[in-house]
Amino acid sequence: MAAVSVHQFAQCITCHAWSPDHSMIAFCPNNNEVHIYKLLEGKWEKIHVLQKHDQIVSGIDWSISSNQIVTVSHDRNSYVWSQEASEWVPTLVILRLNRAALCVQWSPKENKFAVGSGAKTVCICYYEQENNWLFWLPSVAMDFENRSEVRQDEDEKVGSSNSNPGDFGLGPWGRGDEVMLGKKGNSLTTGFSRRWVSKLIRKRHDSSVTSVAWHPNNILLATTSTDGKCRVFSTFIKGVDTKNPAGSSDSKFGEQIMQLDLSFSWTFGMKWSPTGNTLAYVGHNSMIYFVDDVGPSPSAQSVSFRDLPLRDVLFVSERMVIGVGFDCNPMVFTADERGLWSFLRFLDERKPSSGAKYGSQFSETFGKLYGQSKYGSNDINETSKRHENCITSIVPLKNEEDNTTVTSFSTAGLDGKVIIWELQKQHDLLEYL
Amino acid sequence: MLECLLACFIKPTLAQLVERRTVVVAEILRSLVRIRQANSLRLYLTCIRNTLEAAMCLQNFPCQEVERHNKPEVELKTSPELLLNPVLICRNEAEKCLIETSINSLRISLKVKQSDELENILTKKFLRFLSMRAEAFQVLRRKPVQGYDISFLITNYHCEEMQKQKLIDFIVQFMEDIDKEISELKLSVNTRGRLVATEFLKQFI
Repeated sequence: MAAVSVHQFAQCITCHAWSPDHSMIAFCPNNNEVHIYKLLEGKWEKIHVLQKHDQIVSGIDWSISSNQIVTVSHDRNSYVWSQEASEWVPTLVILRLNRAALCVQWSPKENKFAVGSGAKTVCICYYEQENNWLFWLPSVAMDFENRSEVRQDEDEKVGSSNSNPGDFGLGPWGRGDEVMLGKKGNSLTTGFSRRWVSKLIRKRHDSSVTSVAWHPNNILLATTSTDGKCRVFSTFIKGVDTKNPAGSSDSKFGEQIMQLDLSFSWTFGMKWSPTGNTLAYVGHNSMIYFVDDVGPSPSAQSVSFRDLPLRDVLFVSERMVIGVGFDCNPMVFTADERGLWSFLRFLDERKPSSGAKYGSQFSETFGKLYGQSKYGSNDINETSKRHENCITSIVPLKNEEDNTTVTSFSTAGLDGKVIIWELQKQHDLLEYL
Repeated sequence: MLECLLACFIKPTLAQLVERRTVVVAEILRSLVRIRQANSLRLYLTCIRNTLEAAMCLQNFPCQEVERHNKPEVELKTSPELLLNPVLICRNEAEKCLIETSINSLRISLKVKQSDELENILTKKFLRFLSMRAEAFQVLRRKPVQGYDISFLITNYHCEEMQKQKLIDFIVQFMEDIDKEISELKLSVNTRGRLVATEFLKQFI
């Protein structure tokens, strides 16, 4: 049995993310809230509810190093939540989008995050350096209702700081939350005190951007879109990224490195392999695509399968990919020695003689149950251990000792279940890890 | 079964078979005739079921054209890239089923068999009665698509709340029942007509 534990958290889960130490899970129960559950004495308990969005939350990502949660929603907004004492404090990110935000991901270094949107654009958001605030302020200010007030305050502050340059250098600006713009404690929106700035990749996309994925080098960003194409962009931002001597140094922000037009239908769920050599994404025509040699002359493999389309994929290792989707059962794709990808099997396949392989007593009893109802599709015991509706997201659970391979991961679906899967016990899959 | 079918359709083989094993073939042919009617309906429904199974892969998708809206794309048809090719399944000219799919919604339109005037009027009235109560059925569309008798609209929200298999079962069951219902209605109308006529004509005796 590959599924280790099953948790029914809500009616319906659209997206989920784990805290860095996996003690907490954040998910959206198909509404405008984000719930955070924590494992307390063996039981999952709801400890926080993040309420700031006013439409369904479409993406959550939890950064590992800074312990911040970024959420995006169909209401066009994005918030970065950081924990202060026991509370989660939201910071508005001005995405400058006019349509719904659909997906979000932190970059590997976690100094940027990318948001795909229904406005046919991708936003790259980064934390602006404190001393640069003057440059971005006028450009962003137009998004605020109190635009004129901002301008005025800004002018005043500039005036005062010119008279007292030392004050400006250290700044009340560096202090983050406590910053008050404006005279005599007349504070502006909290959006001003923290400076998440967004840069847009406007061109190229002909339809909504359904998924974004960061290359491990923190520069390249791959996107999938409902126009059926897969694109790779450079997101080099001066001042945020340091120049990389090898390759990709000459590409500017927003430059398209590659465009693939393999799918006849919408594409979703894109991921890079751990080394960044291979890119995998899925099409709605029940295909999965593997792209090697990302660059001017990429080589791609298309693998079709006979089951319902996938929604998301995950690289477990360089040679194994798990795909989840409308079939409610994770699918395993593997590459052979020559690098040819093929569908191996369903992860939750029940083998008639598998009873002996099970380790724990618990799973042994389950094995017996399965043995009895091998071919009964409507058995209650059988269905309770797996997803009953489309699986929407798959998230790796990093193991502490080894960061290169993923041996366990979690899936969440529209049936409201979060299932944790363990690959260590799958003997036939170990050779691909 | 497949072998039998093949044997029956390939004429030389059939002739050979008839010569050799006349009894068996005659039996098969008889049963084939008997089940042909039921079979064609079953094939039709199976085809629809399989198509629905593949088509009902819907997801939440906000509108690309209007800010902060979320609408069934199959009704709007503003972005052609969000629509899939429609599938038309015909049993015969009078009975067909059109399945239109988009990224977040699915529209199923049915044309029910109407062999004569009476069936025509009965179907019209009966399906209108159902359409007027569309909210009770959740997935029923208030107005059928042009050229069809009744339409269903399934969105991603229905798929989130309900089990996909049950939804498909409902549609197929509905199609199975509608024919039965109409022919029953027709029978009862005929019976009633005969009764009324008899009662009316009794006074002249």
